[in-house]
Amino acid sequence: MRLAACALVLTAVTVLVAQERSFLACPIVRDTKTVPCFLAEYDGELYFLGIQQDITADFHPPQLKHEVLVEGRVKDGPRVCGGIPLAPVSVSVIKEVNPGCNTLLPAEPGIEAPPAARGAGPASHRLREPAPASESLKGPQEFTVLYQFNDDYVEFASIGTVRRAAGYAMKIGASAVKVMGYRGTTVLSNGERLVEKDGLAEKRAQDIATLLRGSAVTGVTADWKKEPEPGDGKTDPSRRRVTITVIP
Amino acid sequence: MRKVLLLLGLPILAAAQYQSNLRITWIEPGSGETLPAVDEIENYLGKLGVIQSSGPVDTAGHPFFTPLGTNGRACVNCHQPAYGMSVSAESLRDRWHATGGKDPVFAAFDGSNCPDLPQDQEKSHSLLLNRGLFRIPLPWPPRNADGSQKPVEFSIEVVRDPTGCNLSPKYGLKSANPTVSVYRRPRPAANLKYVISGGQNIVLKTGMLADRDPETGRPVSMNLMSDAREPSLLTQAMSAIMGHEEASKAPSGKQLEGIVAFESQVYAAQVEHVFAGPLIDRDGPFGLGPAALRDRKAGVLGDNDFDPVFGLFDSWKGKDYYRASIARGADIFMFRQFWLRDATHINSIGLGNPLKRTCATCHNAQMTGQDLSAGWVDVGTNNYPTWTEPDTWAESAELPVFKITCQKAADPHPYLGRVIYTTDPGRALISGRCVDVGSIVMQQLRGLAARAPYFANGSAKNLRELVDFYDRRFDMKLSEMEKDDLANFLGAL
Repeated sequence: MRLAACALVLTAVTVLVAQERSFLACPIVRDTKTVPCFLAEYDGELYFLGIQQDITADFHPPQLKHEVLVEGRVKDGPRVCGGIPLAPVSVSVIKEVNPGCNTLLPAEPGIEAPPAARGAGPASHRLREPAPASESLKGPQEFTVLYQFNDDYVEFASIGTVRRAAGYAMKIGASAVKVMGYRGTTVLSNGERLVEKDGLAEKRAQDIATLLRGSAVTGVTADWKKEPEPGDGKTDPSRRRVTITVIP
Repeated sequence: MRKVLLLLGLPILAAAQYQSNLRITWIEPGSGETLPAVDEIENYLGKLGVIQSSGPVDTAGHPFFTPLGTNGRACVNCHQPAYGMSVSAESLRDRWHATGGKDPVFAAFDGSNCPDLPQDQEKSHSLLLNRGLFRIPLPWPPRNADGSQKPVEFSIEVVRDPTGCNLSPKYGLKSANPTVSVYRRPRPAANLKYVISGGQNIVLKTGMLADRDPETGRPVSMNLMSDAREPSLLTQAMSAIMGHEEASKAPSGKQLEGIVAFESQVYAAQVEHVFAGPLIDRDGPFGLGPAALRDRKAGVLGDNDFDPVFGLFDSWKGKDYYRASIARGADIFMFRQFWLRDATHINSIGLGNPLKRTCATCHNAQMTGQDLSAGWVDVGTNNYPTWTEPDTWAESAELPVFKITCQKAADPHPYLGRVIYTTDPGRALISGRCVDVGSIVMQQLRGLAARAPYFANGSAKNLRELVDFYDRRFDMKLSEMEKDDLANFLGAL
C-alpha cells in the first residue's frame, strides 16, 4: 500500500515535470487566413507559442533569423495551428543572428489561427493603454519588471510598469525608491543550464533607475545581485527581473 | 490629351512632361518679397498648396530669409516653399545653371561632395545636383550636448570613398577632428506641429529616456531630423546656422524665435493633380491639402480603419480615372497586407519577424504618415545587401561605404549581425549603438510631388522608384497598375 502510494506520488511528479518545456529552437512561422502563428519544434514535437498581435499584447512573437528560448507549460486541449499549445509561455529572442532560422510556411486549409484581437490589417479599435496607477495602492509597494533572456530591453508592458511605479512614488511622496536588479538561470528540458551574462543585473538596475529619475522620481537608489538566480526549469522567466520598491 | 496618355499606358511618365512649363519659384535670401497667405505653385504632378497660417509673410529682414552666417546662405536656400519647404534635385540643377554654380546653396562646406574639392566644377557637387544630397559632417565618436564623448559599441572603417571626404586628411575619419561625412536630403520645414508632437518620456522602440527640449525640459518626439540628433526646432535652427550657414557668431534669441515661429505656421501639401484635378473635395478624404494640415489635431494614430492616416477615399472610387487610381493607392497603403521582414525597430520591438501588416503600420501618424513613436527604422535603404546603391566596385557608385564592426559585448544588429556594410550608419552615428546602424527617422509624406528625389539618400528619382523599392524589399507582389496607383496616391499628398 505504501509502495503504491509512493509510486502514485512519483507518477504525479513525473507528469508535472513532463508538462514543462524549456528549449532552444528556430521559430517556425505559419501563415493563416488571418494572422500568422508562431511555433517551435522540440524533441520531434511541434509546439504552438502564440499569434501575431499588437505591441500592447502580453505575447511578443519570436523572430526569424534568430533562435528562440521557449519556456512554457503544456496546456491541455486541442492543437492550435498544428502545434501543442504552451501556456503560460515565455519566448526570448537569442540576440546573435542565425540565418538558418528562416522557416515561413504558407497558409493551408484546415489550419487556422485562434481569434486575434487585431488582424493583419489596420486596427479596428483603439490601442489598449497601459493600466493607470492604482488608486487603491497604499504603503510599501513592489513593482516587477521582467525581461527576455540575456536582454535589457524594457518592453512596452514594462514601460507601463515603470510608469506605474513612478506615478505611485510621486503620488505618495516616497521617501525612498529602491531598485534591485537580477540575472537568471534557465534549466532546459535536456538538463542544460543557461546563465545570463555577467553585468546584466547591474545594467538592468541602472537602466530602470535612470528611467525613474528621468520621470522626476527622487530618492532612487540602485543595487544589483551579481550572482545569477538559480533555475528550476519551471519558473525561470520570473527571476529575470528588476524590482522597484517604493517606500512611503 | 488624357485619353491619348491612357492609351499609351504611361500615366506617370507622361506627367513628367509638365516639368518644362514651370514658373521660376526660387526665393533668394534677402530678396524681400512677401509670401502670400495662400499660394499654389506648379509642379510636375499638379500644384502644391502652401499656407502661411499667420498671414502674409514679409521676408525682408526676416531671419529665415536673411543670411546669418558667412557663406551667404539663409534657411530658405534649402527650405523653399515651392519645393514643399525642401528642395528638389531638379531645382538645384536649375540654380547651378542659372548662377554658374555661384548660388550659396552650393557652399563648399556642405553643398559640395567635400570642401577640399575644386568648387567651380560641377562634378564636385554631383551628390547635390544629382540626388539633392547635402553633406552632413558628424563627429566620431559622437558627443553629448556638453561635448563629452558618448560610449560607442562599434568601430567604423571607410571601405569606399567616391567623394574623397571620409579619407580626406583635413575632413575625414582620421583627421585632427575625426568626422564621418554622410549625405542626406533636407527635410521639409512645413507641417511641423505634427513632426514635433507626441514626445513620450520613455521611447517605445528603445525602452530608454527620450531626449529633452533644453528650453522646456519636456521630452521631445525625436522625429525631427533623419537621425533625431537635434531635440527641438530651436536647437535645429541654431545648429543649422552655425553649420550650414557657417556663422561665426551665434544668432540672437530673437532671430531664433523668428525662425521657429515662421516654420511653425507653414503648411504644405499637394492641392491639385495634373489629371485628377483639384484634390480638395467636400465629399473626399479629409486629409488632403494644406488647410487640413493646418486645422487638424497632431499626434493622432491613424493605423486603423475608423480614423485612417489620410482619411477614406471611398467616394473617389469608380469615378474619374485618376481619382480612382489615387483611391486604389490609398487602399493599398492602408489595407494591403504583406510581410514586413528584417526591419530594425519594427520587427525587433516585440511585433515579431516577420510581421504581416500594411504600410500604415509604420507610417501611422495621421496627416503625415510618419511614425508616432520616435521613428528611426532600418528599412534597408542604407545597409548591404538591401541598400539602394550599385555594387561597391561599380563606377556609378556615388555614396561612401563604411564597414561597421560591433564589439563582442554589444548587442549585434538584429538582422545583419556584427559586421555591417552601410552607406549611412544613420542613427548609430548619434547613439553609438550597433542596433541602430542604418536606421533613419521616417519622414513625412506630404508635398512629395514638389521635392523629388526620395529617401534620405535621394536614391529614388521619382515616386515610382520609391514604390519599386518597397515592392522589392518586402516582396509586396504589386502589379504594375498597383504600383502606379500607389505612386499616384503618394503624389496626391
